[in-house]
Amino acid sequence: MCQSCPCFVFPRGGVGGGGGGKAPRRLMQKINKNVVLALLSLTSLVFLLFQLYYYKFYLSQKNGVVFSKVRGSQSGQDSTRWHVVRKFLGLISSHNIPVYLIDPLILGLVNKDIEQIRSSPDGPSPECKYFCAPRDFTTFALLDKTWKHEVGLFRTAEKMGFQWLKIINKDPRLDGMDDLSGIEIPLHYIFKLASHAIHLVVFYERSGNYLWHGPLRLKQYMDRKFVPFRKLHFGRYPGAYEKPELVLVSIDDLKVQIPKNPSSFLEEMSHSRFLECRYREARAFFQLYPDDASLDAVEFRKKAKSLLHLAALTLNNLGVKFWLSSGTCLGWYRQCSVIPHSKDVDLGIFIRDYKADIIPAFQKAGLWLKHKFGKVEDSLELSFQGDDDVKLDIFFFYEEGNHIWNGGTQAKSGKKFKYLFPKFTLCWTEFVELKVHVPCESLQYVEANYGPGWKVPVKIWDWKSSPSNVQYNGVWPVDEWDDVIQIY
Amino acid sequence: MDEWKPNPAIKPHKKRSWYLAWKYKLMNQRALRKLCQTGAVLFLLVTVIVNIKLILDTRRAAYEEEEESAQDYDDEMLNVEVPRHPVSNKKVLDVEVYSSRSKVYVAVDGTTVLEDEAREQGRGIHVIILNQATGHVMAKRVFDTYSPHEDEAMVLFLNMVARGRILIFTIKDEGSFHLKDTAKNVLKSLGSQVAPFLSWRDMWTFVGKKGGEVYGEKHAKSPALSTWGDPVLLKTEVHLTSVEDAECHWPDTELNRRRKRFCSKVEGYGSVCSCKDPTPIEFNPDPLKDNKVFDVPVAVIAGNRPNYLYRMLRSLLSAQGVNPQMITVFIDGYYEEPMDVIELFGLSGIQHTPISIKNARVSQHYKASLTATFNLFPVSEATACALMFDQGLGNSFLSFLSQSIHLLEEDESLYCISAWNDQGYEHTAEDPSLLYRVETMPGLGWVLRKSLYKDELEPKWPTPEKLWDWDMWMRMPEQRKGRECIIPDISRSYHFGIVGLNMNGYFHEAYFKKHKFNTVPNVQLKNVESLRKDAYETEIHRLLGEAEVLDHSKNPCEDSFVPDTEGRVYVMFIRMEQEADFTTWTQLAKCLHIWDLDVRGNHKGLWRLFRKKNHFLVVGVPASPYSSKKPSSVTPIYMEPPAKEEGAVAVPAVAAAEQT
Repeated sequence: MCQSCPCFVFPRGGVGGGGGGKAPRRLMQKINKNVVLALLSLTSLVFLLFQLYYYKFYLSQKNGVVFSKVRGSQSGQDSTRWHVVRKFLGLISSHNIPVYLIDPLILGLVNKDIEQIRSSPDGPSPECKYFCAPRDFTTFALLDKTWKHEVGLFRTAEKMGFQWLKIINKDPRLDGMDDLSGIEIPLHYIFKLASHAIHLVVFYERSGNYLWHGPLRLKQYMDRKFVPFRKLHFGRYPGAYEKPELVLVSIDDLKVQIPKNPSSFLEEMSHSRFLECRYREARAFFQLYPDDASLDAVEFRKKAKSLLHLAALTLNNLGVKFWLSSGTCLGWYRQCSVIPHSKDVDLGIFIRDYKADIIPAFQKAGLWLKHKFGKVEDSLELSFQGDDDVKLDIFFFYEEGNHIWNGGTQAKSGKKFKYLFPKFTLCWTEFVELKVHVPCESLQYVEANYGPGWKVPVKIWDWKSSPSNVQYNGVWPVDEWDDVIQIY
Repeated sequence: MDEWKPNPAIKPHKKRSWYLAWKYKLMNQRALRKLCQTGAVLFLLVTVIVNIKLILDTRRAAYEEEEESAQDYDDEMLNVEVPRHPVSNKKVLDVEVYSSRSKVYVAVDGTTVLEDEAREQGRGIHVIILNQATGHVMAKRVFDTYSPHEDEAMVLFLNMVARGRILIFTIKDEGSFHLKDTAKNVLKSLGSQVAPFLSWRDMWTFVGKKGGEVYGEKHAKSPALSTWGDPVLLKTEVHLTSVEDAECHWPDTELNRRRKRFCSKVEGYGSVCSCKDPTPIEFNPDPLKDNKVFDVPVAVIAGNRPNYLYRMLRSLLSAQGVNPQMITVFIDGYYEEPMDVIELFGLSGIQHTPISIKNARVSQHYKASLTATFNLFPVSEATACALMFDQGLGNSFLSFLSQSIHLLEEDESLYCISAWNDQGYEHTAEDPSLLYRVETMPGLGWVLRKSLYKDELEPKWPTPEKLWDWDMWMRMPEQRKGRECIIPDISRSYHFGIVGLNMNGYFHEAYFKKHKFNTVPNVQLKNVESLRKDAYETEIHRLLGEAEVLDHSKNPCEDSFVPDTEGRVYVMFIRMEQEADFTTWTQLAKCLHIWDLDVRGNHKGLWRLFRKKNHFLVVGVPASPYSSKKPSSVTPIYMEPPAKEEGAVAVPAVAAAEQT
């Protein structure tokens, strides 16, 4: 829009100015009139040019390096970044704080030369290739084990010229608990020096053997312009990660720990978003519908949990992405636990992630195939059973237009059913001490499946008619029955 | 204008005439000027419009940027932080103190900081300490100086209070009966004129500064033995000092900052707040060689007993091999002072909203604490250590655990490891390097496996409406499933609670005071491997094989029952009809002055303890599988339970004992 404005205005300005300048000579009146006109045009033009200049400057500020008030030479900027990183590394090593580099931009660059960097851990580098790359932040990670003397660290940082910001919030590991309130834990630190800032993300270990980092949320009193928060790579959402294997390398003459495999870390980072279970709502739910504390319920939950752990282990080993579906997903979303009167554990897998190894892998893990409905091209569904009488249902999901669906088959009639869901993406969550995927759009997913009344527990459930998203999908041709309806 | 250059050759006629007209107009100066003027005005208008648009655009963009820059990052909880106490530059506090037979109260600047009009409660001298700079209440105590020894506690407390603090005293009901001269002199030295002459049922209020001026004193003498003095109400003003004057000038280190924060808030912790030579709050005990418990999470379960908690944490943090990072203190309720204590030591503390009542409250607190501990330290197959706030730990506590904890991970037949031996009294425990397997679970510092808690106990933990004791519940066969605990012969922890939740003074005196407690550091445990399930049986059979059978015709309660030897192994046989028949054992325990409120420390009908420095084994016949070791000539000893009424007396004590 604004790009077009100057082109349009400029030639006209030329005309106007010329016209104004030619004007005077004869009558004083006319001269005055013309001079006034010319002056006005000129002022207007100057003002316009000023506006344009200002706007351009503003745009450059918005897109380019932001909080560099002094526009130094490019190389000066580059070395500033390097110096800030070096100072920061000095600061934390003087306090014995183990951090590692997780900056996606630098890791991306490093990844290209990973072999070379790994093989020459000490070699001096001829040029500043990585830490001088233009950016506003450098991001580091810190593992939970907080330092003993934080105040001392901040003091040293201040002496070195850093300004710092600490973002604390509630400890989610206590959130699931009844009425516990702990001390807020540090989630993010930002150290700012000159035109560069270091973003230190604190990772915490959580039940389920994974690392978690919190969202970055500013408290009311905090300076919203301390750094351009929107450009941070971490903190918009909480995230879940595997524990990375680290390696000490020398990059641009700075010794720093990085994930051993930067590309897989970056891949992981791209879909690391984490959803916390809705503990508060779950507690409210249990207020309304007290939990079933009978021995049977305890026993079923225990079995379901161990089955889910086994399934997760098997599928993760195969590299097959799965998520909690149907009743298991509802249990997670509504009450943060396994619904004791559900009879099975339900998982979803995108059909594009289907592998023929799935069945043998489960059999190897001690689960036998109970039935197999459908085929890879249509309505595939697998059911496994272990020694315990809890069933594991795996539904395969097909993408079609603006929705995603999975199929169901009635064994005795060969009838097909289709369950429609709005499109969704996958997020991490923690469920029964396991890091698992759930649809990020959990509410839409649950509502599609169970209708708006999902908040009320229902004990009698018919998979063919109860779901609110079920559609009749014809009948399997009789000659295919042997293939698409296999019961063991 | 150049674009409009005519090219007459190709222009059609009609255009040509138009062009001519235009050319003519051009010749006309006036027309030209008019045109230029119109152009200029047009241009002016356009530029003005564009300018305005640009300004608006820039404004909007800038505004959006500002809005957006942190919009996603705003804390959704708009907790506007209002300073809790409006900063007042007031230099003078109005203090009101009331003393009477049935009611006392203290108001500072119109805020009631103490009010006690409960019947049969709060008798004696109430003391309140105020910070001389802020006027905040730093400590509140009541010393029942009608009863003996309470005045000594008061003297101890008053001596601990830092100079310059403001002290407020008031008597409820009676406060002089056991107020000895020492205490009276201390009160006198604080500036009280009346204290030395305080007598039976006098009413008294006093406000003064420690080591400084007196702000007021009022006294009402009791006219007769049977009546109380008239109520007295003292109204006075206290001048506040500057904050600098109220603080010590310790070197500015991080530790001292914590100390400063603590000492400006609470009083009554003695030398930790001493200006000259404060006691350390960081201990750096020697590291433990080959420390297996460095990464074991430690949960300290606490209530609102900050003084006990302070002592407990001191002893824990001084224990060899401690890792403060793994310690979490759980407070049952939202109390400030215990949190202050935790912050003083730089530990992490978690508060728990009390659920349910009485024993169920303790039980729910325990559950929440254990769950949170395993959540906070989700090491894959960890164990956790639970400690009570009213216990002390020996330096060797962690060393003992470090040497034995691997058993818990390897031996499935184990339930827990505990640092406490219920039967380990001064006269019944001897060997710091000896461990036992027992079927009962002692509390007071114990370690459990994560899988035991997560898979078994947590899912079926008693719900809040069940008024059960968590430890009784854990001892039930449904939970224990025949598993055993490992305990040391000499306890590695001790109990200093006198007025715990369910603890009375007599009870503590009788059952805890004479307990033996290990003070020897670095004890090398000797029989750790033989504590595994099968090895332990072999060990027991070996012991019984070499044991000398005592003379069963003598009275086992008599001292002469065990010969005056040292280092020998003796065995006696008592009657025990079935597994749950503890009639004789209970009587024996009574006369041996060991724990007799319920059965503790048994292993398959066998008890192991020491008498006169000899290992002393008691086998229950015929229930115990070790009965076969009994020579046929020996008749097991049977002891009658006492008559009924005595049993009835014991009942409240049992109720009191449950929380140990």
